[in-house]
This record gives sequence, structure tokens and C-alpha cells, in this order.
Amino acid sequence: MKTVNFAVDKDLAREFLQNFADAHGEPKYLNILQDVANRKYRAIQIELDDLFNYKDLDEEFLQRITENTRRYINIFAEAVDELMPEPTEVFSVDDDHDILMTQRAEERTEGTDSNDPHQGMPSEIKRFFEVYIKAFSKGTPLTLRQVKASNIGQLVKVSGIVTRCSDVKPLMQVAVYTCEECGFEIYQEVTARVFMPLLACPSVRCQTNKAKGNIILQLRASKFLKFQEAKIQELAEHVPKGHIPRSMAIHLRGELTRKVAPGDIVEISGIFLPIPYTGFRALRAGLVADTFLEAMSITHFKKKYEEYELKTDEQEEITRLAEDGDIYNKLARSLAPEIFGHEDVKKALLLLLVGAPHRKLSDGMKIRGDLHICLMGDPGVAKSQLLKHIINVAPRGVYTTGKGSSGVGLTAAVQRDPVTNEMVLEGGALVLADMGICAIDEFDKMDESDRTSIHEVMEQQTVSIAKAGITTSLNARTAILAAANPAWGRYDLRRTPAENINLPPALLSRFDLLWLILDRADMDSDLEMARHVVHVHQHLESPSLGFQTLEASVLRAYISTARRISPSVPRELEEYISTAYSSIRQDEAKSSAPHSYTTVRTLLSILRISIALARLRFSETVHQSDVDEALRLMQMSKFSLYSDDRQRSGLDAISDIYSILRDEAARTNRLDISYAHALNWISRKGYSEAQLKECLEEYAALNVWQIHPNTFDIRFIDA
Amino acid sequence: MVGPLYDFVANPFGAVRLSFEQAVAASPADDPVAVFAGKDWGALDLFRDFLLEKGGLSQVPILDASSRQWIQPNSLVRFRGMVQDMLGKELYIGAFQDGSNWRTNKYSDGALFPMPAGCQSAYESNLWERLLLHCVPVPGHNSWATHSTPPQVFRNVMDNSMYEHGEKRQRDEGIVENNEHGGSPSSKKQKEGEHPCQLNHSSQRSLVQGGFSEPRNGAALSCVIKMYDTPECDLKLNDVFEFIAIYTFDPELVAYKEDADDLTDDLLDDPLMHLPPSKVPRLHCLICRKLAIQDFVSSPLSVELPNMIKGIRGSLLRHLTQVLGNDGLAAECLLLHLLSRLRARVDAVSVGKLSLNLTGFNGETASIFGNRITSAIQSLLPFSQYIPLTVDYLNTATLQPKKNNQTGRLIPGVLQLAQGTHLTIDESHLQPGNLDSNGVHNARLLKKLIEQLSVEYDFEFYTSEMTADVQLLILSDGKSNIMPADLVLPFCPNAVNSIANPSPEELQSWRWYLDTLRSLPYSSQPDLHQMLQDELVAAMREDRSLGCQQLNRWLTMARLISVSFGDGELSLEHWQMFKEIERLRKERIK
Repeated sequence: MKTVNFAVDKDLAREFLQNFADAHGEPKYLNILQDVANRKYRAIQIELDDLFNYKDLDEEFLQRITENTRRYINIFAEAVDELMPEPTEVFSVDDDHDILMTQRAEERTEGTDSNDPHQGMPSEIKRFFEVYIKAFSKGTPLTLRQVKASNIGQLVKVSGIVTRCSDVKPLMQVAVYTCEECGFEIYQEVTARVFMPLLACPSVRCQTNKAKGNIILQLRASKFLKFQEAKIQELAEHVPKGHIPRSMAIHLRGELTRKVAPGDIVEISGIFLPIPYTGFRALRAGLVADTFLEAMSITHFKKKYEEYELKTDEQEEITRLAEDGDIYNKLARSLAPEIFGHEDVKKALLLLLVGAPHRKLSDGMKIRGDLHICLMGDPGVAKSQLLKHIINVAPRGVYTTGKGSSGVGLTAAVQRDPVTNEMVLEGGALVLADMGICAIDEFDKMDESDRTSIHEVMEQQTVSIAKAGITTSLNARTAILAAANPAWGRYDLRRTPAENINLPPALLSRFDLLWLILDRADMDSDLEMARHVVHVHQHLESPSLGFQTLEASVLRAYISTARRISPSVPRELEEYISTAYSSIRQDEAKSSAPHSYTTVRTLLSILRISIALARLRFSETVHQSDVDEALRLMQMSKFSLYSDDRQRSGLDAISDIYSILRDEAARTNRLDISYAHALNWISRKGYSEAQLKECLEEYAALNVWQIHPNTFDIRFIDA
Repeated sequence: MVGPLYDFVANPFGAVRLSFEQAVAASPADDPVAVFAGKDWGALDLFRDFLLEKGGLSQVPILDASSRQWIQPNSLVRFRGMVQDMLGKELYIGAFQDGSNWRTNKYSDGALFPMPAGCQSAYESNLWERLLLHCVPVPGHNSWATHSTPPQVFRNVMDNSMYEHGEKRQRDEGIVENNEHGGSPSSKKQKEGEHPCQLNHSSQRSLVQGGFSEPRNGAALSCVIKMYDTPECDLKLNDVFEFIAIYTFDPELVAYKEDADDLTDDLLDDPLMHLPPSKVPRLHCLICRKLAIQDFVSSPLSVELPNMIKGIRGSLLRHLTQVLGNDGLAAECLLLHLLSRLRARVDAVSVGKLSLNLTGFNGETASIFGNRITSAIQSLLPFSQYIPLTVDYLNTATLQPKKNNQTGRLIPGVLQLAQGTHLTIDESHLQPGNLDSNGVHNARLLKKLIEQLSVEYDFEFYTSEMTADVQLLILSDGKSNIMPADLVLPFCPNAVNSIANPSPEELQSWRWYLDTLRSLPYSSQPDLHQMLQDELVAAMREDRSLGCQQLNRWLTMARLISVSFGDGELSLEHWQMFKEIERLRKERIK
């Protein structure tokens, strides 16, 4: 083994501190030292990133630092001692520490036996700063079970959830005694948590006089360090199946204390160290060592889309996906793949995850970007499963039921703190889901008080509280995904949809999309289900879906990338959207149905959905196809509610489809209609693909149009 | 080597030590010991050879509460248990230099030789790791499955080893004294303290049982197992293992640990502090083997002729019919239920499970048949549990295993069960009443267990799902809503007859039958596919209320009928049998 010359390394450390220049060419560490000298703060954080970027990097030096970090903290501290500049600002008040230091300096000059080693002041006591070495910010942190015995003494980075925290206690760093006989201050450095106090004065004078001076511990003069212990536990996603999460003790010192609270998800870099047992335990069981992590830096995890950091392989995957034309369908199908069918519902849910950007107008008005979706339907059609799945995909999601169990409920509550007797605000599920998604199951069974305040949440996206002398408003910028059962438990086909939906229209109009999922008798789906069940039992795996589903992590990464884009609506599309809107209004005026939902909110919804679609394509502008798809989705959502009306109206589906296509061809003044286009148009009116095909065949036989044999594109025969 | 220089059973350290010294001597490296960190140097081969090849296994005593009284510390034992908790890693000084000799501390709690001062400072490079497991006897372990070898033979072995111990001990003493040069007095103290210690054991046992791990049968003894070199992925929570390990016990350490230790911080206390060695012995595992149900069932038969399986099926069915008061249909269903096993999880569907709900248990029938059914199941399956469900029970019991971050331990709940356990839940005593929040939580857990065969373990800040492959039988008056079972059958006994006690041979063959057929692999038969599909679609058109769950149950039951005849694949005949059973069941429900 090579012996390491620490003196040389100290020089290296000093040079680094002196010469390192950050991106702006500023001497970063010298500036920090000046601030420390001016007592602005105490912590000096040496980042390995900086060392790595340092122009005269010595690779081995870096290596040595990561492998023997504790030693190098001292080396850096010594280097800092040498470099510490004079304060450039004058302090108004000297604190205890300074008074003691001046006094000591004076005593020193008059001191007689200054060569007595016990009287030499340890450099620790002079320092008013703390040195930390921060691990590389890049690179994934280790899980707790990856930290091995071979990591002892090294700088490691781990992630976990804080389970327990002790109080902050003083930890003696230098014990100072005064001797009754000779009057000198005696210093004793304490490196462990336990130390043996000195009993007799070790100074030369007392030794020579054989006085055995009685010494007294001076608590006021001793140097203490803030010290806190914490315990972290492995994150749920890091625990292999069938195992129990590990935990690890963390020691926090000085400036790092009070940084964490139980429940926080943190990333900690620190030195992995053993504590040898002391005393009797060492004698017998001394073979076993407890370990802990001496924290060097703490980062809190935030689970927001905006702060989601992509790994390089994810980045590649996303670019690859973005080039794929069919990404919209692919992503939608990857949502809850175990739930069969419901493609349009899944598409809508995907758009809910993506959302549109919030707009703040110059006059201070805010327009929400979050999409709200309500799923209605018979019991047992996997609504709750869809909700739970969405929450899993969303980086920040809260799942709750309408009858939220705590008194705080959905919105917020003012409560009296049992200890301090102060009134405190406690946020409910909607506030907790700020900048995320809030899934509310059993939406119809909500408390009356929550139902009134949810109006505000859904449009203004704040929760206002005026209770017990507290008036405030909390942000609740959340997309709401609600699931509700029909009024009589099951959807009653004999009643109108409005009667079945047990929610006030004011609330319903706030949902961008409303979906009714019914458990209908249908030969196709029966067969599909039978086939699925038989397959599962024969092969003990689900039948292949005919496509690759994307992992939830990929979905999350894709969505977070998409959310960074804020597309704009080009001028030429404005007209198109307004025409579409007015035609919906007119259709509704013509129809005899007593329920009208189309309001200005609908127009905003169309825009929001279109923008979300553009985001999915990573496009900065909204295309007409986005608007078409948005209109289709809205229409589909409506037909899921009212399709029975249409069936009852007795119109021949085939001829209706024909008239739709003819009108469309006439409007665009063309003779060709692509199949995809045709499908889009007819499905907006609530017809199925099978019906379209039937219509195509029937009218082709009548020589009204020609059908392309492969693509099914339509060409009208000019009569 | 000519003959063993050491007794593997009484002095396993001899073998460990000797093989280590040989390995060090043979190792050419400058730092001979670093090579052995985290891997075996050949000691295990010696033990494997002795135990498995030379049949030494039968000499090794099984450690339980009664045998613990006479088993010597530092000797080889066998222990069967379920992994109840994983206490994480422990670092220890794997090797140190005593003069010019390298010594190892592997497989021991403390140094066998006093460690020279100064080696502590340089120990960092020789810190090795071991994994700590807390193992308890399998919950619900039925008494017949405790000893797979006939007890008579076993006694002899124990007597023999007892006798051998006496002899070996003297030799041990000689070795110890030679080596230690009158060093530490611990070994002598240990011998003096032996008798008081034993008294301690028995007096403390009640404490142990009341205290922490709710042992569910008499001779419960939980152990802390220290695992070496075993890959972590092989050890799963709730797995049942047989460990062949070195049993260590050091009274001095005990005395120390039991003293209130004012230096230990309340925050960073060691989970081991709550498992004092006097109550929970430490075992250092040499060899471990995962046990399946068949390891608890001795197979009486070597041939499995189809006729014979049919014969056993018939006799078992007769027995079950008798137990169930001549209700043949219920007996069929119970048989299928006992044969069910979780085959796979496909998305949200658990394939292969068949939980059974026998309804119609009110006051009178409940007391008679409830007991009969439980005892019949107890005699058939190695692990079974009986939970009488009452409002009070739901409100007070801890069903969910929960991590206590204060002590760093996983507190076992009733639902922490070994794979393959049978659980009978008796709802017939349930009276109307109020559930508090704990009760609601427990009811939710039970529902989740029956629907998905998984239990959420509470780790305070998050929960984590653990699969639990258990068979659930529910006895209730009406259809149970707390535990919605796959198969609901009204129970109609028509006679309270006496049960003929089955002979041991019969019991043995039934146990073998249940276990063997349960683990029978499925094979698929594509030509039946289409027929099944059509049948299902037709059934769905007839009855709109049929859902995915029902269809799954149908196929599961049909499969189980085939299995009960020892047939891995579904045949048309068995499908017809299933349809007949289903028809009878429907009639009964009306």
C-alpha cells in the first residue's frame, strides 16, 4: 500500500481553494471564506463537482477524498485555517466566543510554558466554521442495501425516508478545564460521543510540582456542536419483493441539524462509519460494530413534474417515442393496460395527466390549465382501478374518497393545536395535491361543505378559508379526477341522464369531460372476456395485447417532458374553433334534449384539450388535427351520456352516416375523404367503426362512391 | 486427513478454525485474509460432506424450547422456522492477527481468543458482513407436523448425543484450557453458571411467550439467525427454512446486555436489545434449506397409480362427508378448496385461489360442525389457523404486521403467515356492534386478503404489499360481506353422526394426497379452449350478472376437479362434473 503524504494533500487542498474559479470566473471558495470571516454563515461546502471541474485536477487526490473523507475534512479545515482572510466588516457585538478568544490570546503572550503540549490550543476551538464535502450531484444514490462493509470510511450518497429524529443536543467538541493550582486552561479534544474526562492537571508545572492540580470543567469555555441523530428507511420502490426495508442511522452535525423531519424523503451524502463499542462491550462483543452515516449534505426530494430529472437513457427513449407517430394511442393504451377497452376514456385520462399551461392575463385574471374529468358509471366497471392507476403514474397524486376520513376533508380546516393552543391551518387532499392530481372517488357522496368549496377549487384553483379569525386562501392548482356512481346505484336507462347524475349542473359544467361507463350487454365484449379468462387460466399470463405497453416510469418521464412545453394557438385556427363552438351551440338549440352543457367553459375546454394534445406531440403550436381530436373526445364523452336518445330517435344509422360524410365533403369542396377523417367525423356523432364500414359497402354498391381496397379512402363519384 | 480431527456436532468451531488456518496457509496473497471476506474458504464443504454425504444430519439435535435445556452452547443444531423479520446487516471483525496467526470470528458471537489490543484500530479492512434474521416457529404449525421423523428414533438420538456431549465436553475443556493459557475465566464461569441458567430459561419462557412474538403453540422458540455468504435474494420474508447452525450462548454477554445500559441512546438502539440472547438464542447458520409443505409430510407411497389416487380421493371424500354431517356437496367443495393454490397473478386476477364460504352456521350447527371442520383441517394440513371473528376481536386484534421504528422491529400481526397456511375464519359468533377505526382497518385487511391474497405491511410512512398464499375458509350464517369468498355454499348437514377416527395410515395418505396434488403442474389443452369459450359466452348471455370473477371461479373449480383426480389437464368429463356441482349449488342457493 502506498503511503499518502497528507502534508502534500493539504497543499493541494489549499491550492484548490485559492484557485478554483466557477463558471463566472469568480474565485468561489475565497468568496465563501470571506463571507465566513464576516460571520455571515458557518458552513463551507466543498463540492466534489467543483473538484472534478477544477483545471488542475489530480484524479488520485479526488479518489483519496472519496475514500477517506473524514480525514480530508480535517485537511481542508486546516487549509481553510491558513487561508482565512481578515473580516472586512466590523461586528457590532462580540459574542462569547470572541471574548474568550481575545482573552486567550492575551494570556498566551504572558504564558510561561507555552511549549506544554496540553496547553496548546487545538485548532478546533479557534474555528468558527464547519467544513462539509458534498458528493457528486450527478449519479444515482445508492439504496441502503447497497451500502456494504467495503464502503466504510467512504463518501456515499443514499436516498431514503426519514423515520425518526432525535432532539438537537450539544455535543462536546473541545473540553476546556481550568486548573486550580496553576490556573491554566487545559484543552481536551473529543472525537467520540463518549470521552473520559481528565482528572488531574497534566500541565508541566503541576507535573513538576507534583501538585496533582484539581481541574474544573468549564462548560462555558468549551466548544459544543449541535448534534442530531436521525434514522432513515429504504424507499418502498427500492425494497425487493418479499423483503423488509432496511434502515440506517444518520448523524447530523452543526448546520445540518434541524433540516429533516420524520416523513421527509431525502437524499443524503455522507461518510459511512462504524462505531466501535466501548468498555465492556468492546471486550466481549467488540467484534461487532454499529454503523452510521455522518451527513455531509441533505437534499429533499420533491415530486413535481417540473423538477423531474431525466436520466440519459430516459431522454433517448423519449426522443425515440416522440418520433413515433402513434404516440398518442400508445401512451393511452399503456395506462391501466389490465383494464380492457375504454380507449377514449384512457385518452382523456392521458390528457388530464398532461394538462395545459396556466395562463395569467395582464389584468391579473387566471385561466386554469388543469383538465377536470368525471367518470360516472355502474358499480364494478373498474372506475376506482382507473383512478388508482392514474395516481400511480402521476408524480404527485392524492387519492381520496368523497367522504374523506379526517376532519380536514377535501379542502382545508382550521384546527386548534393541542400543544400550543394556537389555531393552525391544515390542508386537505386538494391542497396537498397542489401542482398535481387529486383523484376523488365516490364524488357524489361528498360532504355538503366540501361540495360548496369545490366549486372554487375547480375554477379559481384556490381554497379560501375564513374561520376562527383566519382568513386566507391556499393554492390548490390541481387537476381533479372524480368518479361517481349514478343516483340510484345503477344507471337507470328509463330516466334522463340529468336525473341519473346526482350532481348539480354548476359542478358538472366545471368538468371538461364527463364520461359515462355503462356495463352494457354486448356480444363482442362478452366473447373478449371469455377469451381472456380462458387464456389466463390456460397459460397463467394475460394474453398479449398486440402492442408493447410502456413502463410507468417512461410514461412519467414522457409526460413531464411534455409538460414543459406551452403551445400557442395560431391565428388561423381561432376561426375554426369558434365555428366549431357555434355549431355545437346551434345543434344543441335544435335538439329537443332538455340538458344543455355547452357554455363558454366548453370553449375553454376545447382549447385546453387541444393544447394538451399539442404538448403530447412536443409541438409549440396547436394544429387543426388537435382541435379535431379535442372535439371528437368531447362529442364522445357526450354520446356516452346521450347515445340512448339517438337510438330512440329511430334515425337510420347508415343513411345518417352517409349524410354526415356528404356534408363534410361538400363543406371542404372535395371529392376525396380519407378513411381516418371519415372515422373521426362519424365517431363525433356517436357511430361505430362497424357502422361506417357497413355504410361504405352499402353505398359503394349503389355506386355513390368508390372505396380504395386497401386504405378504405372514399372518393365520391361525380354525378 | 485421516478421520475427522474434531467432532462436527459438539465442536463445530474446531472444523471452522482448522479449515481457516489451512486456507490461510495455502493462500499466497500478502494479505491472506482479505480474500476470504464474504465467501467461504472450504469450511462449508466439510460440513456438507459430513451432514449430507455421511449422514451426520440425524446426529444433529433439533433446537426447540425443550431441547434447549440440554444442548451445549457452541454446538451444532437444527432449527426450523419462518423468517419473521429481517434485522439488516451487521458488521463484525472477520479476521484478526494474533501474533503471527490469523484468527477468524466467523460463525461466532465473540472472539474465541482474546483479541490482542491494538488490532481494533486497524480492523476496518477486515470488517465482514453478516445478515440477521429473526425466525419464529411457523404460525399455526400443527402438532403432527412438528417432527417428521418418528419421535421414538429421535429420543434415542437425543440420548446418544447427550451421552456424547458428556464425553466431548471433557475434551473440549482440555482444548480450551490448552489454548487459552488460563486466559479469560469466561469458560469456567459458564460452566458454573450452567444450572442457574437453565432455571432461568424455564422461568423466563413464560415471559418470552407473553412478551413479543405471540407464539401460538407450546414449544415456541424464536431465534436470531446470523446468515453468512447466502445471497440476499434467496431469503424472503415468511419463507420457512431449516437451518443447520452453531448455537452460541454466552452468559457473560447476557448479564451485560440485560443491565440497563445508560449509554445507549434511545434513538439508536439496536433491535437486538429487544431480543436478549437468554430468551432468543443466537444461531450462526452454516447451511440452510428452504422448506416446502412436502418436507413436513412424509410420503408413504412410492408409486402413484391413477387408481390409487382415486381410492384416496374416495376415502378422503367419505371422511369429509362424515365430518360435514353427510353433506356431500359441501364435502366436494371443501376438497376442491383444500386443493387450491395460488398459481399466478395476472394483472388484478389471482389465478388458482378458491376461497370457500359455508353459510348457514348459526348457534347450534356452528358449535358442532365448526369444531369438527377445524380439527379435520388441522389433522390434514401442516399449517392451519382458526380465527373466531367477533366485533371485539376486530377492534382489538393486530392483524397487520407493523414496523416499529422505535425498536427497529417488525411486529408480527396475525396475518403474517407462511405460504400455504390454511385460515379458517368463523363469523358465526359475530354480533351487531360498532367497529372503531382499528376494526374498520382490520376488516379492510381481511377483505384485501381474500380478494387479492396479499397483506399490506405497515412501515409507518408507507405500506408495502406482501403476497400471502393462504387458503381461506369462512364459516358464517349468511353470506359473508366482510370476507367475500369466491365460492359461497349453504351448508346443509342432515345428520349429526359420529366420526370414525381415521387410522394413521389413512391420515398419512390423505396428507400426502393433498400436498402432492396441490403442487401438481397444470398443462393446457388447446382443443378444449374453444368449447370453454363458447360455454362461457352462452352462460353470460343467459345470466347478465356473471362477471369476470365468476368465470374465473368456474375455470378454477373445473381445473381443481381434474386435479383431484390426479390429472393435470382439464377434460370434458371433469367440466361436466363441475357443471353438475354448480347446478346443485345454484339450487341450494335458491
